[in-house]
Formats: sequence, C-alpha cells, structure tokens
Amino acid sequence: MTNTGLPLRLEAISKHYGKFLALAPTNLDVAAGEFLTLLGPSGSGKTTLLNLIAGYVEPTAGTVAIGSRDVTGLPARLRNIGMVFQNYALFPHMTVGQNIAYGLSVRGVSKAESHRRVAEVLALMQLEEYADRAIQKMSGGQQQRVALARALIIEPDVLLMDEPLSALDKQLRRNVQLELRRLHHKHGRTTIYVTHDQEEALVLSDRIAVMNDGRIHQLGSVDDIYDRPANAFVAGFIGESNLFAATVTSVSDGTAIVDVEAFRRTIRAPAAPGVEPGRPARLLLRPEHLLFNHADDGVPAEIVETVYLGELSQYGIVLENGQSLIARQITDRSIQAGTRVTLSWKPDHARVVAESSTTGGLSNA
Amino acid sequence: MSKLPIWLRMISNAAASLVLGFLVLPILAVVPASFNKASFIALPPRNYSGVWYERFFEDVEWQTSLYNSLQVAVIATAIAVVLGTLAAIGLRRLSGRWRASITALFLAPMIVPVVVTAVALYRSALDVGLSGTIFGMSLGHMILALPFVVINVGIALRGVDDNWLKAASGLGGGSWTVFRTITLPNIVPGIVGGAIFSFITSFDEVVVAVFLAGYSNKTLPVKIWESIRLEFTPVIAVAATMMIVLAIVLFAVAQFASRSQGNSAR
Amino acid sequence: MQTGLLLAPALLVLATVFVIPLARLFALAFTDPAGTMVPFETLLGSPVYRQVAFNTLVVAGSVTAICAVLAWPVAYVLSRLKGVWFIVALYGVLFPFWISVLVRTFAWMLLLERNGPLNKLLMGSGLTDSPISLLFNNTGVMIGMVHVLLPYMILPLYSAMSRIDRRLLLASDGLGAGLLDTFRRVYFPLCLPGIAGGATFVFLLSLGFFITPALLGGANAITLSMLIANFVNERLAWSLAAAGSIALLAIVLLIMGLTAKLLPLDKGMFAK
Repeated sequence: MTNTGLPLRLEAISKHYGKFLALAPTNLDVAAGEFLTLLGPSGSGKTTLLNLIAGYVEPTAGTVAIGSRDVTGLPARLRNIGMVFQNYALFPHMTVGQNIAYGLSVRGVSKAESHRRVAEVLALMQLEEYADRAIQKMSGGQQQRVALARALIIEPDVLLMDEPLSALDKQLRRNVQLELRRLHHKHGRTTIYVTHDQEEALVLSDRIAVMNDGRIHQLGSVDDIYDRPANAFVAGFIGESNLFAATVTSVSDGTAIVDVEAFRRTIRAPAAPGVEPGRPARLLLRPEHLLFNHADDGVPAEIVETVYLGELSQYGIVLENGQSLIARQITDRSIQAGTRVTLSWKPDHARVVAESSTTGGLSNA
Repeated sequence: MSKLPIWLRMISNAAASLVLGFLVLPILAVVPASFNKASFIALPPRNYSGVWYERFFEDVEWQTSLYNSLQVAVIATAIAVVLGTLAAIGLRRLSGRWRASITALFLAPMIVPVVVTAVALYRSALDVGLSGTIFGMSLGHMILALPFVVINVGIALRGVDDNWLKAASGLGGGSWTVFRTITLPNIVPGIVGGAIFSFITSFDEVVVAVFLAGYSNKTLPVKIWESIRLEFTPVIAVAATMMIVLAIVLFAVAQFASRSQGNSAR
Repeated sequence: MQTGLLLAPALLVLATVFVIPLARLFALAFTDPAGTMVPFETLLGSPVYRQVAFNTLVVAGSVTAICAVLAWPVAYVLSRLKGVWFIVALYGVLFPFWISVLVRTFAWMLLLERNGPLNKLLMGSGLTDSPISLLFNNTGVMIGMVHVLLPYMILPLYSAMSRIDRRLLLASDGLGAGLLDTFRRVYFPLCLPGIAGGATFVFLLSLGFFITPALLGGANAITLSMLIANFVNERLAWSLAAAGSIALLAIVLLIMGLTAKLLPLDKGMFAK
C-alpha cells in the first residue's frame, strides 16, 4: 500500500428519478487521503451521492472527477474505486482468500503475485489464518474486515463505504470504528463513508457533510459541525440539542438579537449564516451548556425528572410556558423533581440558526 | 394442536401411514409381477423366474424403444435447459406485469391438458413432416419440460444477491465475467435440478409420445401402452420396473443436488 | 446481455412449438366444410357426448372430494414431523411424482383385476363372497386417479398447515374452546386456502386425464380426453377433436379464472 488515493471533485452533480429529486445539484471537493462522512437520515440522498461517485448510478447532470480524470461517463468497474457494501456482499461460494483476490483475478494478476498481496492484506486486517475459510464460518466483524480487504487490495483511488457497520451490535461497532480509523491512517486512501449514526461520524471523520432532503446542509470539520451548526436541522441532528422558536429582530457582525417566546425575553447570541429578520429561526442550547441558579436574571423553570448517570445527571426541565428541555451537569443531589431553578448560560454557548439552509443548491467545498 | 389427545394422535398417525402406504406400495406391485415365470401376468406370481428380463433385453423392439426414450430425453433436456436457463435469467430482469405475463406464458404447457397439446403437436407435426421422428418427439417433450427448468432456475436465481453482482463489477469484472464467476456457480444446482426433472418428465411421458411416435420410433412408454392392449405378458412388468428403477436413481440424485443448493447459500 | 436477447430464443421456440400448433388446431374447429359452428353443435347436440362431458365432470368432482378427505392425515402428520421421519414422509409424497402415470396405472390394473390380490384379500378376509368388479368401470378409474392426484392435494394443504401459528391454537384453547371448536373455528379456516388450492389443482388435472381412464375404465367410463383422442386416432375427425379441445381448455381456464378471483394465487402451488 503505497499511494494515498486521489482527490475527488463533484461539480453540479444531481439525480432525478422522474419527478423525484434524489440529489439536488451539489459541489464537493475532497482532498487526497481525506476521510469524509456523508451523514444524514434515510432518504437524505447520501446513498445516492455515494452511488454517483461509485458509478453505479448515472447523474442527471454534473460531473465526477477522480484525480485529473473525468469519470462521469464511466461505469463503476472502470473507475478504480473500492466499495464496501452494507451487508458486505461477500461471494458465498468462495473462500476468504478467493473473495479478497477477486479484483486481482479479473485483472489478470498472476497467481504468485495475487497470493503475495492477499497475504499482505490479510496481515493488515489480522486475518492471517483465515485465507481458506468459508465466509459463512466468519463472524460479522470478520466478514466486515474481509469486505474491506477485498476493496483495498486493488489499490483504489477512492474507497467508498455504505453504512458498513449497521449490522454489528453496539459494542462491536465502537471497536470496529476505532479500528477503521487506525486503518485509514495506515492506508491513507481518500474515503467516502455513509452513515446515519452521528456518533460514528464524529469518531471517524476528518470532515462531515450533513445531508437531508437531497442536499448537503453543512460541510465542515467535526468542531465546525458541532459548535457552529449552520441551521436547525444540523443543530438537531448532531449531538443533543434544545431548540427554541426565535423571532429575529436584528443581525449584525455575526450576532443576532432574537425574541424567544419560550423564555419571554430577548436574547443576544452568535448567529449562523443565513439568519436574518423575517426568516424563521431557532435558538440552540446544548444540554451541557445550561447552568442552574447561576445568574440573577435566569429563566425560571422547574425540574420534572432526574436521571442519574453517575458523575453526570440528566435533568428534564419544564419552562413556565410548558415547553420542555434537557440539561446535563455534574450531579447535584439537592436538585430533585419539583425543584425550581433559574437557567442561564455563557453568551458564547447559545447560537441562533436559521430554520432551513439558504444555500439551496450548490454547497461550497 | 400440541395438546392433541393421544388417541387422536394415534389415529392420525395410523391414517397417515395407511394413506402413504397407499401412495407408495401399489407402485411396487409391478416388481414381483416382473419375476413371473408364466406367460400371463399374475399377482402374486405362482412361480418366480427372471426369464422375462432376458426376453426384455433380447427383444429388438423393446431395446430400441428404450434407446429411443433415452435419446428423446437427452435431446429434450438439452434444449429445455439452455432455453429455460436463458429465459429464467431474462425473467429476473423484468418486473411487474411483464414478468407475470411472460412467466404465465412459459408455464402454459403445464396448464393446457396434455391431450390437447398432444393432438395439436400431432397435427402440426404431420404438416411439417416431423411426425414419427425422434426430433419431433424431442421437441414435444422439450415444451413440457421447459416450465420445470424455468421454475427451478428461477428459484436458484432468487438466491443470488444483486449486491454480489455490483461488488464484482465494481472490482473490475465485465458482465460476462461476473455472470461466469458469480451468478453461474450459484445457480448450477438449480440448473442441474431442472435438467434431472426434465429428463424424467420426458422419459415418463406417454400421451404426446403416443401421438408423435411412428412405427419405428416408439419410446418405452409407447411400447408399454401398446403392449398392454395387444400383448399382455410379464415383459411389460419388466419394462415398468426398469422405469421405476430409473426414477429412483434420478430422484436420489435430484435430492442430493437440492441439498447442495441449500449449502451454498449465504 | 440484453433482456430481450435472453428471452427471445425461448419465446420463439414456445411460439413455434406450442402456440402456433395450438392455434392451428383450434382453427380446425371453425373450418369444417359442413359449417363454421357445426363441430360445436355436434358435440353439444349429441346425448352421447354430453354424457361423456357429464361423466368427466362427475369423476373429476368425486376424485377431488376423495383426495380432499385422504389428504388430511398425511398433510397434518407432515406438518408436525421433524428430522428423519419428516424426510421419509415427504419422500413418500414426492416420490410418486417421478413415476410415470402409465406405470402407476398399470400397477393398478394388476391389483384390481378379478383374480388380483385385492379381490383375493377381500374374499379371503370374508368381506365379500365373489370378486368385485373393480376394473373397467368408474370405480377403478377413480381409484387410479386418486392414487395419482393425491400428492397434488397433500402438498398445498401441508403448506397451509405448516404456516399456521401454533400460538393461535393455544390462545383458542386458553380462551376455553374445546378441541372441536378450536378445529372448527380456528384451524380449519386457516387451512382453507390450502384445500382450495389443492382442490382446484386436482380438479383441473382430473379433467385432462387420459391414460388412467383409458386403461382402467375402458369403454365404460369415457372422459373428454379419451373422446378427443378417439376423434383423432380412430375417426380422423379433426374438427370434432379441435372443438372438443377448445371446450376442454375453456373449462380449465374458466375454473382457473374463478379460483384466481376468489383466492389470491398461492405462489407455493406452482413451485415444485
């Protein structure tokens, strides 16, 4: 495994099925060796985008370029991509070794050379003794590694992974995620990863593209997405969040003044791009950022539920207008259901986000 | 009804055994009749002898009819397997109305009463000069066997996951390579099962054969049919026993093949 | 390869070797020199032919009814067996499919004749005084046909039975229903699709039977199929044969259409 894969560029790529818009025109630039995750709920367009990159689906419009090659008209087998499918798609009538060697055998690689490379990849995946094993005898986690080995051995320019861990149980999934990360540092190939699990995205990625309704809502690093979500959808999808309807009075210099009906007061907070007076907006407060009884003019509220999580506790809270929210803090035994508290937060920890993204189509790289 | 009282269970087991016996045992009645020494058929025979077996294997007409049956079955199976496999693969790509109607078309020979098919084929065979020929009979049997191949291969194809094909093509396989290395190995048991069932269908078939056979091109069932009406001797029982033996062998092979289909599944 | 290219050879051959010959035959029904509808009038007008049609339907109906009764114990036991015994029983039902109708019918000829083992058994055990005529009448034909067609009734019924969730029966029992009630109100209705499917299958196949009635019934139990064969072989009456064929096929398609409307077609029925 020597080279690190190639950069990927999508320009104005889109896909319609009849009247149905699966993917709105999208731009995407992925650097060579980067690990990019397409994150979103089902139907968000992430699998369509993956299949367009792979070449299993033809775009309605737009181009795909891998490195300096325009591959738009090429089918999958000519693009030199490696794909790992959701259910692994391992060939049942072949052994582990034969599965992995398949890509080499269709390229006419000699038996000796193929043998050597398979051994190399098996070592990388820690599956050395399994070369002649039937795949039905392998566990889910092992099959997943075989699928990855099969994709990597052909030295693809881009590695594509379609929710490869969704069939594994939670504990195993966490271990495999860390392993995937380590492997990526070793093979360094440009990787596009699809998942609906935001924790997984946060663990694995260099950058995340949060998608919904056939569009990329935000593309950025893990910190960007978490601390500075671009709109209400991203804010709600990543991490845990409390969102409140807010009417924008004014915006200047990245700070907005909004009326939050749930608090019955006017708040000043950093604003995401796209926030402007007249457009529906939300105030975002993460559970870990809420403070109890810290300020004299805090928002009055009542605790209705406490969930003990060890060092931290989660508190279900109700405001005077009936709206509920969640807070998470270091456990304070004096706070019980029924306790009245006032809520406040550091000014930087609140954020105003627009209801839906203004950049309707072409999201920038 | 896991709480069925024991007397009811015993009765149903007894009844089931009786009915199963009724299904299987009468068929075997033919075997002792074939070992009859006398020249008329009697069950049970008074004296046992293998003399009619000698007669069967020495008689030119019986041997020719056996040979003809094998020929016709082989040709019919070969054509049915090729056409049926291609058709099943093609059907898999269709969906909805098209798939349902064309499948129904392929299954039609099973639904049309055999006599009607036989008479129709006889008429057309007369028209084109194929009446009384081995090839004519093979075509007739092939049409009856085709639905079984289409069904069997169709079932095997349902076990082939589309994602395997996508993975294989993504790894660089062209469409013929993918078919040869991925699809084919996984449907071979289905093809073999279809072939075996085609063979026995043709070998056993009477009605179409009776109408399409000529004087010198009879199949074994046709010879049996005629002999029953003209010359009722134990040699008929010998021929019938031969057919049963062949059926047992092929049945065993087919069960074996369908087991291996179950094993190669993911 | 293009889908069309895959289907074309089979479709072409099907058209040439099946569809066209059938069409050619059916055309003969309408091209009798005596008049377009004459063959049909002859068939419908003659009391002999009407008797044959009636006889065919009666035999088919009786065979279906008998099979419907006999299938129950086997299908039930099959649905409850496991392991080796299940395989043995299943093979017992499947194996007859592989034996030629001719061989099976011939076996019955040997068994049912006047001096045959069945009559000897009946006389020996004192059930009858003189041999019963079991051959060359409807009785013999029905015995032979039941023997051949029973598996076609057993398999769909077994399929329906094995799909019944045992817990439904436990629930019925728990709610206080006795054995007969549970059977009548829960089990039997769930078996109905299987019975209906099997019955349709058996009835339709009975209509087309030729070998068995010919050998076991002779001239005393003529069916439509025998009649059609007779028209061609003995009398070269092609237009009558064609008219009879159309009539037979029409009855088959009519019944298939009716049952398809009344029941959702079970895919399992056509999968052997």
